Amino acid sequence: MVVLAALMVNFALPRLAPGDPIDYLVPPDSGIVDAEQREAMLEDFGLHGSSLDQFGRYLANLTRGDLGVSVRDGRAVSEVVVDRLWWSLLLVGTAVLVSTVLGVALGFAAGWRRGSRRDVGLLAGVLAVDALPAFFVGLMLMLVFSVQLGWFPVYGATAPESLTGLAWVVDVIERLALPATTLTLVGLGSVFVVARSSMVSELGEDHVFMARAKGLAEDRVRRQAARNALIPVSTVALLGFSTLVGAATVVEAVFSYPGLGSLAFEAVRARDYPVLQAVFLLLSLVAIAANLVADVVYPLLDPRVRRVGSR
Amino acid sequence: MRIRLLCIALALSIAAAVSAPAAVAQDDEEVVVRIGLHAAEKNLNPFIPPKALPITHDFTMLVYDTLFWSQSRLDPEPWLAESAEASADLRTWTVSLRNDVTWHDGEAFTAHDVAFTFRYFSADGGPGRYGHHVYDHPVFESATVVDDTTVELTFADPVATFELLPGADLPILPQHIWEGIENPRKDATSLPVGTGPFEMVEYDPGVSYRLEANEDYFLGAPLVDTLVMPVVTDAQAAFAGLQTGELDFVTRNLPAPLVPKMQANEDLAVFEGSRFQSLYLMFNARKPILKDATVRKAMSMSLDLQSIVDIVEGGLAVPGNDTWTHPQSPWAHPTGGHEYDPAAAGDLLDAAGYVVGDGGVRTSPDGKRLAFTLLVNAAAPPQIRAGELVAEQLAPLGVDVTVEPLDAPAIFAARKKSADGPPTVEMFIAVFESHAHVDPEHMFFFFHTPGRGVGGVFSGYANPAFDAILEDALDEPVATKQPLIQQAQEIFAAEAPAVTLYYPNGRWAYRPAAYDGWIDDPGHGAFTKRSFLAPYAKGSSTAAVADDDGGLGTGAIVAIVVAVLVVLGAGVGLRRRRGDADTVED
Repeated sequence: MVVLAALMVNFALPRLAPGDPIDYLVPPDSGIVDAEQREAMLEDFGLHGSSLDQFGRYLANLTRGDLGVSVRDGRAVSEVVVDRLWWSLLLVGTAVLVSTVLGVALGFAAGWRRGSRRDVGLLAGVLAVDALPAFFVGLMLMLVFSVQLGWFPVYGATAPESLTGLAWVVDVIERLALPATTLTLVGLGSVFVVARSSMVSELGEDHVFMARAKGLAEDRVRRQAARNALIPVSTVALLGFSTLVGAATVVEAVFSYPGLGSLAFEAVRARDYPVLQAVFLLLSLVAIAANLVADVVYPLLDPRVRRVGSR
Repeated sequence: MRIRLLCIALALSIAAAVSAPAAVAQDDEEVVVRIGLHAAEKNLNPFIPPKALPITHDFTMLVYDTLFWSQSRLDPEPWLAESAEASADLRTWTVSLRNDVTWHDGEAFTAHDVAFTFRYFSADGGPGRYGHHVYDHPVFESATVVDDTTVELTFADPVATFELLPGADLPILPQHIWEGIENPRKDATSLPVGTGPFEMVEYDPGVSYRLEANEDYFLGAPLVDTLVMPVVTDAQAAFAGLQTGELDFVTRNLPAPLVPKMQANEDLAVFEGSRFQSLYLMFNARKPILKDATVRKAMSMSLDLQSIVDIVEGGLAVPGNDTWTHPQSPWAHPTGGHEYDPAAAGDLLDAAGYVVGDGGVRTSPDGKRLAFTLLVNAAAPPQIRAGELVAEQLAPLGVDVTVEPLDAPAIFAARKKSADGPPTVEMFIAVFESHAHVDPEHMFFFFHTPGRGVGGVFSGYANPAFDAILEDALDEPVATKQPLIQQAQEIFAAEAPAVTLYYPNGRWAYRPAAYDGWIDDPGHGAFTKRSFLAPYAKGSSTAAVADDDGGLGTGAIVAIVVAVLVVLGAGVGLRRRRGDADTVED
C-alpha cells in the first residue's frame, strides 16, 4: 500500500512543476515545435498520451524492471541511476556512520554530566553547527581545507585522470573527505540530541540508582546506562539515512559529487520525469526499508517491547 | 589551557597556509589542460539543443569542423573548404574542399560527407541549434557531388552570406557514421567522430570529458595534447579549483567580485575579451498594455543602464544599445546608444493617457494597472540583481514590477505559445548569445511578427513595416543588406520590443603555467579551437583587466572568518573543561 502511494506521489510530483521535458529539450529560442513534433519527441521517451496512460505504462514497465529512458541523455534510467547510486551510498553511508558514532560519543559525554560546562559547551557547539546550512558549511570547509590548506580536492568523486589501484582508493577517500564531513556535521545534531537526552533519562532510571547504590564503579554504571540509552539512537540513525540523502543534494551540488542528489537536481532542471521517478522511488524505498528495519530491530534491542508484543 | 593551545596552533597553521601559495605540479612532457566546464554538453550531438551555453558551439567545434571559420566576421577564413563560388543568382554555391582531411577514425573526408551533412540536417527538420539554418533560412534544396573535393549546394532562395551561415556554422558530419541513424536526437552518449583538432576519447555522462589531440589535424597538431574537462557546476567550487591547482581554466565567466582575487594570485592570470553576448529585458508584446510601443519605450527610457552595469557587473560590461545588436557584430547599427530620460518617459505616458493612480502606479486609459511580473532565471544571480534594479528604476515611472525567479523550464513554459492564446509571460530577462548576434538574419528570426522565425515565443512583436524591411533584406548581398538591417534596428529602437541591458565582457581566469596560448577570438571568447592551434594561439596573455583595487583577497577573508570562528569556539570552549574537534572545525 505504502509503496503504491509512494509510486503515485513520485509520478505526480515532477509533473506538477511548470514546464515539461520538451521545454528543456527545445528552449523557445531554438525553434518552434508544433504539436505533432512535440508528441513524437515525447513518444521517444514514453511520455506521450494522457497522465493516466503514462501512469499505466509506467507501472506496467516497472513490473518488468524497465524504468524508462532519460530525457537528458537518452540512456536507460536504470543505467543512469546505478552509475550514481554507488557514490551516494559511499557518501551518505560514511556520513551516517560517522555522525552516529560521533553523535553518540558526544551525546553520551554531554548527557553523563548534564548541566556541566562540558554539557553546555557541547550542546551549544553542536546545535550551532546544526543550524548552519549545508551549502555554507561545505563552502567554508572548501575554502579552508582546499583553497587555503590545499589538503583536499574541491570537486568530483574521482580524479579526471584515470588512476588505478591504491592511488585510486586514496583519491576517492580524499575527494570523499569534505563532502562526507559536511554531511556528517549536518546529521550530527539530531543524533547528538537524542543520544544526550536518552542518556539523561537513563540516568534517572532506578537501575542506575541501584547500580550506584551497590557501589559499582562509575565506568560500569556508565556502560550499563549507555547500553540502554543506545536503543532510541538506533532509530534516529536509521531514519537519518533517508534525511541525509536529501541533504546530500546540496552537498553534492557544492562539491560536484556525482551522486543521486546531484542527479535529482539536474533531473529537476531538465524535467527529466523518468529519472526523477526512479530516484524518488529509490529514496521512498530506502525510507520505507529504514522504517521497517527500525521496527524489526527495535524489539531485538529492547526486550521490554518484545515482551509487550508477545503478550 | 588545552583549548588555548589548540586555538593558537590552529591560528598559526592557518596563518601559514594563508601566506603560502599553493604549489603547482607541472608536467613538461605532455601538455594537459584541465578545464572546468560549467555544464555538460552531452556528447556534442548537434541535433540536441544546446545545454552548456555559451560554450556549446565552440566546444562542439573542438571535435567537428565547419567549411569556414568564423561567423563573427564578414570575411570568414576557409576551413574545411578551400573556396566557395556562388552562381549568378546566388542560389548555387560550388564549394572546393581540402584534400588532406581525415576523420578521427581514419576514414577520408570527402565531398560526400558535406553533401550528406546538408541533406541530413535539412531532412531532420526538427528544432535545433544548427538545422534551422538549412531548412528555415536559407532553405536547402539539393547537393551534388562533383568530385571528391567539390560539391554543389543549391538553395531555394538567393544566399548572399553562405560562407557565414550555414558555411561557418554547420558542423560537417561523417556520412559513414550518421547515415544509418534514424533519430539523431536520441543518442546523447556515444563518442563523436569529427575532423576537428581534438578527438573525444572519454565521456562520463554529466561528469567529465577527455579529449586528445588529433595529431593529423590539417592545420597542424594542436598545442595541447590532452584536454581533461570535468563538469564543475558550482561556481565557487570551480574558481576554488583554479586556486588549488586542480583546474587550469574555467569556462564560466569570472564574476566581477572575484577579479581582484584572481589577479592577486601569482599563479593565475585574467584576461578579458568579447563574447558577443547580451543580457536583455523582453516585453511580451502580445499582452494588452505591453502591446503599446509607447509604454515599452517609456520603460526603456527610464532605465539607467550604466548604473545597472556598475552594480551588477562591477562596471565590467558595456551598457546596452537601443538598436539591440552587439556593437562588435558586423550587423550592429553604427550609432547605437541608449536614450535615458526618465522625465520625458513620464511625459510620454501622461500624453498617452496612462495616469498615475493608487500607490503611484499608473493605469491605462481602459483602467488596467501597469503592474507586471518579471521572470528571471533563479540560477543566474546577475539576472536576479538586474531584475531588481529594473523594478526599482521603473517604480518612479509608475510601473509596478514584481521580480519572480524561476528555474529555466518554468520560464520556458511561460514563454511558450499556449494552445489557447499567447504565452503567459509578461516580461523576462535572458541572455542573447553570440551566435544570434552575428547571424545576419537575427532581427528577422527573433522579431518578425509571429508566424515566421521564433517571434511567437520570443517577443510577440508585430510591425508589418519592420517585417517588410527584413524580408527584403533576406536575399540581399552584404553591402545592401546592412543598410536595411539598420533601418529595422532604428524602428526597433523607437518601439523597444526589448531592451538590451548590457553586453557583458568575456572574462576568463586561467593558469599560464599549464597553458598560455589562450586568445580572444571575437564572438567566441577564449575557449575555442583557435586558442589551441599554432597559427593563432598566443604565447602570452593579452590585455589585463581593471586595476587591482587592493581589496581583501580570499586569504584575508578566510583568515578573518576563521579568526571569528576561533574566537567563538574559544568562547564556547572556556565554558567547558576540554576542547572538542567539532566546534573548531566549522
